[in-house]
Formats: sequence, C-alpha cells, structure tokens
Amino acid sequence: MMGNKILEVKDLEVKFPVRSKFLAPNEEKFKIVIEKVSFSITEGETFGVVGETGSGKSTIARTLVGINYPSAGEIYLMGRKINFNKKSDLIFLRRNVGIIFQDPVGSLNPKLRIFDIILEGLNFEEKYTKEEKRDKVYAVAKKVGLNESKLFSYPTELSGGEKQRVSLARAIISPKKILILDEPTSSLDVSIQAQILNLLQNLKEELNLTYIFITHDFNVIKYMCDRLGVLYYGRMLEISEVKDAYENPLHPYTKDLMNANITIEGNSGFESETELGEPVRNGCIYLNSCRFKMDICNRDPPMIELNSRLVKCWLYDKSQKEDYIKVKGSN
Amino acid sequence: MTNLPRDISHEKNLSEIILEVENLRVSIETIDKRVEVLRGVNLKLKRGEVTAIVGESGSGKTTLAQAIIGVLDTPPVFIESGQIFFDGIKIFPYNEKINFRGQGINMVFQEPLVSLNPVYTIRKQLEESIEVQGLHMKKKEIEEELSKILSDLMIRDVDRVLNSYPHQLSGGMRQRVAIAMAMIQRPKLLILDEPTTGLDLIVQRKIIQLLLKLKKEFGTTLLIITHDLAVAANMADRMYVMYAGKIVESGTKDQVIKDPLHPYSKMLRDSVPSGYKDSGPLRVTEGNPPDISHLPSGCAFHPRCPLAMEICRKEEPTKKVIEDREVLCWLYDGKQNT
Repeated sequence: MMGNKILEVKDLEVKFPVRSKFLAPNEEKFKIVIEKVSFSITEGETFGVVGETGSGKSTIARTLVGINYPSAGEIYLMGRKINFNKKSDLIFLRRNVGIIFQDPVGSLNPKLRIFDIILEGLNFEEKYTKEEKRDKVYAVAKKVGLNESKLFSYPTELSGGEKQRVSLARAIISPKKILILDEPTSSLDVSIQAQILNLLQNLKEELNLTYIFITHDFNVIKYMCDRLGVLYYGRMLEISEVKDAYENPLHPYTKDLMNANITIEGNSGFESETELGEPVRNGCIYLNSCRFKMDICNRDPPMIELNSRLVKCWLYDKSQKEDYIKVKGSN
Repeated sequence: MTNLPRDISHEKNLSEIILEVENLRVSIETIDKRVEVLRGVNLKLKRGEVTAIVGESGSGKTTLAQAIIGVLDTPPVFIESGQIFFDGIKIFPYNEKINFRGQGINMVFQEPLVSLNPVYTIRKQLEESIEVQGLHMKKKEIEEELSKILSDLMIRDVDRVLNSYPHQLSGGMRQRVAIAMAMIQRPKLLILDEPTTGLDLIVQRKIIQLLLKLKKEFGTTLLIITHDLAVAANMADRMYVMYAGKIVESGTKDQVIKDPLHPYSKMLRDSVPSGYKDSGPLRVTEGNPPDISHLPSGCAFHPRCPLAMEICRKEEPTKKVIEDREVLCWLYDGKQNT
C-alpha cells in the first residue's frame, strides 16, 4: 500500500505583503508565513500537520491547492513539478488535490442549492452529460451519508455536520488523489465530529485517498494519522510517526505540547511549566520558550535526521552529544 | 448581604450547598410559539467543589448559567418557573434588595473580547472592579492588588498588559484578564462559560492549572460550562450532562466518565478519540442533536439512542436515583434505591 512519494514539498516559502501606509524605509515589506518547510507524503498515508494559532497550517493547505502562491521552493505532485504561473499545472494540481475548509458556512455558496454546490466539483470535467452528472451527485451524496431530501435545500437549512458532508461530497465527486482536511471537525460537536471522523476513515479506504490532516486537536491527530509534522510560526520543527511523537517526542516544543495535551482520562496532575515567549526569527524559532536552550541555539538549527525521524533542534546534533544525553536522562 | 429566612421544606445541609437550582424552566418567545429551552433543571453545587456542565451546542448550558446570574435577555427569554438559592438566600424570583453579583456570584463569559470594554485600558477596567466593592482603597494599594492578581495569573509583563486595550492582547491573555476581573472581587461562586474554547493547547493547560490553583487558594466554588469532555475530566469533581434542556445524568467525574449510565453520556465519551489509528472506528450513532423547537416525543434522545425501547418513544423518563447518582433514562426503571 505504502511506497510511492505522491507529494513532495521542498523548502516551501510563502510570504504576504505588509500593507501599511506608514512603512519606515527599513521595515520589512513582507511577512514570511511559511519558512523553508519540506516534507514528503507517501501514497495512502494520513499526514497530520499540528500547530497553534498563527503557525501557518492553513497557509500550507491553501498553497497546496494553489490559492496562495509560494514565493520560493518547489512542489512535486506525482513527480511533476508544479509551476504556479502555468495554468495547466494549476489545473493538474486542483484535479488531484481536494480541500475541505474549516468553516463549513463560509465555504458553501449561500445562494446555491446543495445539488448545485456538489455539482461545482465537476466544473473541470467536460466529458460527462447532464444525466451522468446528476447520477454522480446522487451517488456521492449517498457515499458521504447525506440524505437525498437535503440536496434541494440551501446551506442555511443544514446543520454543521451536514455542511461538512457537503464540502466532502464536492471534493470527492471527481476522483482525487490527495484530500487536504483543514480543521474539518473543529466547529462541530463531539458526537458529530466522531461521525465525520468515521466517515473520513471509510472514504479513505474506499477511494484510496491520501490525507493531509490539519488540526490543533491532538486527540484527533493521534486517532487519524500515520505521521505528523509539528509547525511553529512557519517552521516545521519535527516530523515523525504518530506513535513516536506521542511516546517519545524529540523537539522541546513537541514535548511541551504533549505535556499540555489533556485527555478524557484526566491527566492534568503535574504542572506544565512552559512559558511561551516571542518567536525568534534569526535563531532557533523556539529559543525564547525552550527549557533546554544552549549557546548554539542563537543559530537556526538544520533538520537533523535521527532514526528516520526529522527534528530541527541542536540537541540532536552529533557535536552536542553531551547535552543530548543530559536531556534524555531528565526525561 | 442580608440573611433572609430560607424556605426550603425538605432537610439538607445548609452550609455545604452553595447554590441550588430547583426545577428551572426557561423558554424563548418566538413569533408563533414559546420554545422551552430549559425543561426543569435541578442543580446542587457543593461549596469549594468544581462542577462541570457538559453538553453539545443547543443543550441549554449557557442559558442555565445566564439564568443563575440573572443576565438572560428578557424578552425574548423568560424564566417560567423555578427557584434559585444562593448561600441560603433566594435569588430567584429576583429581589431588588439582594445584591448577589460581584462578590457573591461572578461570571466569566465565553468571548472575552466582547465582555471587555474596547475603549478603556485593562488597568481602568480592573480598577473599576475593585472600586465597586466599596473598599475605599488607596491608589497604591489598588496598584499592588492589581499586580498581585496578574502575577498570580502568570502574566509576566504586568505593566504592558495593564496599559493595553483589549484588542492589543492575545486570546489567552484576554481570557486571563477576564478571569482576573472576576477573581479580584473574591467571589464565592465563579461561573465560567467555555473558559478555554478557542485557546491553544499550552495556554489552555495554563488556564486550567490557574483556575484549580485559585480554587485551592481562595476556596472559590467553580461552575464550568463546557462542551469539551477532556476539560471537564481534568477540572471537575462533579459533572452534569445536559441534553435538550434537561440534565440527563449527574454524578462524580469518575462515575460519569468511567462508568456512564445514560446512553448519551456513553456516546459523548466514546465520541472523543483517545487511541491510535488502529483502535477501530468510534462508537457513535448517526443523527444530530434535536431541534429544540421540534423535540421528539418521549425521551428527547430516543432517535439516536442505540438502546431505545418502546416506552422511550411514548413517555418522558423520570429521574431515577441510583446510589448517589441521578439519571434520566427508562433503562434504570425499577433499579433505583428506595
């Protein structure tokens, strides 16, 4: 099942212009939101992206479907390099990568009926007749568990869970390779969230999809994903298997996150001592909040490979071995 | 506060229970009818305990909190019937002479940006909540008090926070300021409506620690309204589960989470993913929370209930007391203690 790299992102950088009338001459005119992020995704896996507010999770998602354009870096989809200035490349990207947004209200056109909203997913496909398209809408509605009677209502008449099912139907009505799920359940109640998570698992097996799952909920990530990447202010700090990340987190930030995660078993017994400081742009980004900081941390660490895991921290650099042993002992 | 004679006929330990809500019914007037939002809620809070009310959106959690502190939007929301006692005094039906808010009951609302005044600095707003206590403190004392409470709340750059306006602060900081504003009056009961919703993980953990610390230090009773079972599991001593305007189950935290009686509490607990990918699908039934204006007949949960029986479709269940817990379900008919 696993094997081929389906998507590869190399040194992705996304920056947004700062719009201000009062820019001082030496002030930066751009805000870098994603800074040299690299990761690759194999076919059939679920890759989780976790991070807090403002870490750039959604920007990555939007870049991967060509809503934002990267300012540097390369994206390869099934071996083909995507040139964001070429229309045929963008169509190729959007044909194969679907996206579901966090806010189900904002992503559905309020003036269209559900039937037409789902039909929008076939806009690029010209080979189908009207009847075939209609049949496809009914089939996909059944697949995502949407009642047929809802197809001719408007988005406002639907509940949050149903809206998310509509987004899902629109995304998978034409065959997709990758589905990006940008916080698909964070606006839903827990029981509805559970329904959608089950549905996503079933669809993945049925349609051989690859998921990129973006969320801030660690219990959901743990349940849904094979591997995860931890994002902090636009930099990827750690990429590892979910089990490794939960049982033996490497990066201090991942450690802090895992400590802070509360579960239903009630585990808030010990105190989390993290004090989040401002991010540091020209050193290790987590420097001000880190418990293990060293002198060398004023320089930005490289991605270090450690037993097939990737971590962006000086602690795991071979030349810093003594500190590494110290840290391992204290954990 | 004046001590009024208490008129509850049945016996109970007066000092132990700080808040008691009896058979509270609240409804909303719409154009064509009255919709009942709370359908007979009973609540008892023990002094010094943390109580959590959990439920999904639309179950009436926030309405209950607003009814207790008396800030319902009337009209269109009306309290139809019921009684609320706080510290042995009847606070509903309302009596103008009794001022129970502030040092009695205080509330932190869900959206801190909305509950803070955007045109005043944090300092001004915090000073105001000291002044309303009528302590006539000197300026220096007020200043000390402010920096003490803020550093208790683990805010490091106290001066910057005090001199900022609400929009200049981050979400977690605003939430802390809102909590500080409530705690500064040393309330006996603090109601928190979704205290950590929308906050990042590390900040959420901080706020939880902080609230538990404040509770320990000042003996404040906490009432937490949340939809997040994990938050309730980490904070509460007692839990109430609400569904469609009724409390369907109550018990200690361990009872409700580890051994839930009501099928809805079971479903809530099973909905929260806790294992890895290979742990199998989540056990949850299809269906949505009910529309409160078109409630199903009988038990409101029966269309989603995996164990629904004939009687559930016809009659509303009555409260069953099993040992020290209460559950609203026909499954336990005949099993209750006498």
